[in-house]
Amino acid sequence: MSATQQYLLLLGLALGILGAVLSLYGLARSVGPTRQEPGKDVPASAGVLSRAPVWGRYHARYYGYALLFLAFDMEMAYMYPWAVVFKEVGLVALLDMGVFLAILFLGLLYGWSQGALRRQ
Amino acid sequence: MTVAIVLLTLLVGAWLLAVIEAWLTTGRLRPVAPLLAGLSHLGRESILARKPDRLFFETAPVLLLVVAVLGAAVLPLTPDLVIADLATGALFLNAVLAYVLVSLIMAGWGPNGAYAMIGGWRFLGQLIAYSMLIVMPITATAMRAESLLNSVIVESQAGLWNIVYQPLGFVLFFIAAMALAFRSPFDLPTAPGELAGGVDAEYTGVRLTVLRLARLVMLITLSAATTVFFLGGWQGPLLPPWAWSLIKTLAVAVSMLLVGYYLPRIREADLLGWCWKFGIPLALLNILIVGLLILVVP
Repeated sequence: MSATQQYLLLLGLALGILGAVLSLYGLARSVGPTRQEPGKDVPASAGVLSRAPVWGRYHARYYGYALLFLAFDMEMAYMYPWAVVFKEVGLVALLDMGVFLAILFLGLLYGWSQGALRRQ
Repeated sequence: MTVAIVLLTLLVGAWLLAVIEAWLTTGRLRPVAPLLAGLSHLGRESILARKPDRLFFETAPVLLLVVAVLGAAVLPLTPDLVIADLATGALFLNAVLAYVLVSLIMAGWGPNGAYAMIGGWRFLGQLIAYSMLIVMPITATAMRAESLLNSVIVESQAGLWNIVYQPLGFVLFFIAAMALAFRSPFDLPTAPGELAGGVDAEYTGVRLTVLRLARLVMLITLSAATTVFFLGGWQGPLLPPWAWSLIKTLAVAVSMLLVGYYLPRIREADLLGWCWKFGIPLALLNILIVGLLILVVP
């Protein structure tokens, strides 16, 4: 199977699951209508609809980690091609990536020392 | 044909794990209970919250299920029994699993409920904690296999399974996989008893069925990934390859359930702290050790 065919197959699989779920919804709907009652559709809280938008209830206190995460996530993009050719290139590959990872790791240590690894 | 076999395996596996999970928590073995629960959900009303983000609310359960199945689709059960053995299989698995976050944020945001919202955003913090521990151990297995083809990664473990070759990577991946599947003790986004169900809170009826099914399939997918990357996949003596794949996957899934059963839920701040202060340095050390092993031992 060529790569295009494989991806088409995966796309078809995704669409097939979507279709299966939709037909399940249709089956559930065919059981019959439900009674409309006031207040039934209020999200679980104190029983009344929150006046302010609820996203104000959560403070993302992990932003220090999130910034470090960006650096490490970018690094991973380089790791995959590197991992495939690692054995072929040998020691040079290990040193190349070692320097790169060492700089990142120093960044992690610096962030740690500055209190980035703390729930703010 | 392959697609049908894999999908059927996933469905049967989801049923089996639901039975085992209930057996663990209630102490009673009731094989028909998950089927009855699923059927009864079809007859129940599926409420739409009053001021929803309809698109997000509807997309979340379907997306989670699609993600779980697509992840399973690139993992080989036997040399032949794989839906798509992509040339970038290991990378594809990572890419697909990133959408778990998207789905849970959608499920949290969609219904405009406080508990759901908190659950969804919590999972973003959880992703920042576990994500590196998923990708770095997988990279180390790809280094040994010199390929991102999942079948080649399995074949590279013919002499020695990766659990022995890189035990550190296995432990980190196992923990991170539990966090990714948001199983206890990492069930921060749902957190029953604390968040009233969290992202599950506003889902009822048939939508909840899909969400729960997706969560079970996710557990199977991640157990299968652990098997493929660290436990030698289909390899083993006497029994046929498919039997080994199933036995190993089931063993990993049950051990995840057991670990979750005996541990209390972790706090988000602790999870972030431990993953970044211990997990990531250890994952980097694992890559270094594997790199040296590959160079020194031919």
